[in-house]
Amino acid sequence: MTEMLLDTSLPSATLTEPESVQTSSPATTKLATRGLNFHYRQAHALKDITLDIPTQQVTAIIGPSGCGKSTLLRVFNRIYAVYPGQVATGEVLLDGENVLDPAYPLQRLRARVGMVFQKPVPFPMTIFENVAWGIRHHEKLSKADMAVRVEQALRRAALWDEVKDKLGHSALGLSGGQQQRLCIARGVALHPEVLLLDEPTSALDPIATGRIEQLVDELKQDYTIVIVTHNMQQAARISDRTAFMYLGELIEYGATEQIFTQPDKRQTEDYISGRFG
Amino acid sequence: MILTLHTRRRMVNVVALALSGAATAIGLLFLGWILWVTLKNGISALNLQLFTRISAYGAEGGLANAIVGSVFMDLLALLLCVPIGVLAGVFLGEYANRSKLGSTIRFLNDILLSAPSIVLGLFVYVIVVVPSSQLTGGAVSFSGVAGAIALALIGLPVIVRTTDEMLQLVPNTLREAALSLGVPQWKLTLQVLMRVAASGIVTGVLLALARLAGETAPLLFTAFGNNFMTLNPLDATASIPVTIYQYTNDPNPAMHAIAWAGALLITLLVLALSLLARSYLKRNRITYD
Repeated sequence: MTEMLLDTSLPSATLTEPESVQTSSPATTKLATRGLNFHYRQAHALKDITLDIPTQQVTAIIGPSGCGKSTLLRVFNRIYAVYPGQVATGEVLLDGENVLDPAYPLQRLRARVGMVFQKPVPFPMTIFENVAWGIRHHEKLSKADMAVRVEQALRRAALWDEVKDKLGHSALGLSGGQQQRLCIARGVALHPEVLLLDEPTSALDPIATGRIEQLVDELKQDYTIVIVTHNMQQAARISDRTAFMYLGELIEYGATEQIFTQPDKRQTEDYISGRFG
Repeated sequence: MILTLHTRRRMVNVVALALSGAATAIGLLFLGWILWVTLKNGISALNLQLFTRISAYGAEGGLANAIVGSVFMDLLALLLCVPIGVLAGVFLGEYANRSKLGSTIRFLNDILLSAPSIVLGLFVYVIVVVPSSQLTGGAVSFSGVAGAIALALIGLPVIVRTTDEMLQLVPNTLREAALSLGVPQWKLTLQVLMRVAASGIVTGVLLALARLAGETAPLLFTAFGNNFMTLNPLDATASIPVTIYQYTNDPNPAMHAIAWAGALLITLLVLALSLLARSYLKRNRITYD
């Protein structure tokens, strides 16, 4: 079962029967946390988080600033480990394997769990190289195969038509929205299984935001997506499941429709109806 | 109270503006004066002989050997201090950035940056010149290499510091974006960060060159001086700053004129390097806000 999951989540995989079998059983868990705690020096940023993120769905994490939603996302690919003094305890299970285990290979984890950040950060290279750079580290591809992979990734990120004639130009000349889609292309080019989006539209205008949201909806056919957003309308529009966090705790987690219409907890209702946060 | 708050603030503003304006004017006045005197005395002493004849001819000679010696030692110094400086800067900026070791090294580097250059000259005299004279059987062996090592010690901390600072200017989001692709730190440093920081580092190298090209004290006990042309790094080697120093100690006014010409050459070189550094940085800077 695990093997099958791995295969079908690759975008190059054709829509064969196993895929349809899987979409019919949406409860399959891709990523899960068990008793996850996170400390940043003295601060206790995540408190005993346990949740299951289903495969090939969009899971939104919402909550007021400082509630730990970005921190949670940053644990999933262990990017927090870049900074000293940050410690995660508990378990984060990717297909059942604990990725917090120091023995779990970090580079492989990050190839399987891609991440797109709040601000678009293109590398100081050409548009083509921005996408090819990450691939080149993980796979040895011929020139022709690389060109195909880059095109696929750029098409996947709905950017191909806009950049196909200037692949050799610097990526720094693109608009903000284009740069963010380039960052998504860079992530999906590695054929990850999970895509983490950390407030990916907060630095973009409404039109660019709309394009990214549409893209997220298309990408969930192939990837498990976790998106952190402080925009509740966005969470309601694009996610299948929503987690509400407050002061480092997971308050409520369920189907997006239920969270936004009939939340179980008072705090969730207060936040969603705009009474605080 | 006759003065309203508004008038009082306006008066304080006028006084502050006048004082800071005057201070700037005094600084600029001396800079302009120095440049003018150098230009006036230097230009009148400029001639072709300066570049074609060596200093062995004295008042009838030129600075050819000193120019060649300076260029030779400055380039050799860069060859020594750029690789070490850039690598040390990368270590500070990327690997030891927030550690205690990092801040200790930064502090020591700042001490080296402000160390009196004569001390660095003496240091190289003791660790290079004296041992090499023992090898050559007692003759004091001043050499171009020793001079270049002393100059490298002047340039090194400048390059360490600019490399470190340029890397710190690169936003962490760029590092996170690259690392989140599963790429190791060394690839990130070499292929992304160095590209962003490159223009700043090149600027630092040019400024280090400008700094060490004008140094006299580190060369007095190391390269010493030479009235003849040499490209042998093991020979005592002439340089423009040391020649200026020697010629201004000479009673002959004709020698003073040559010294002024040398001073002008050095000043123009430093000016050109600074301008080049600025325009290079402006044209090639990659910024992330």
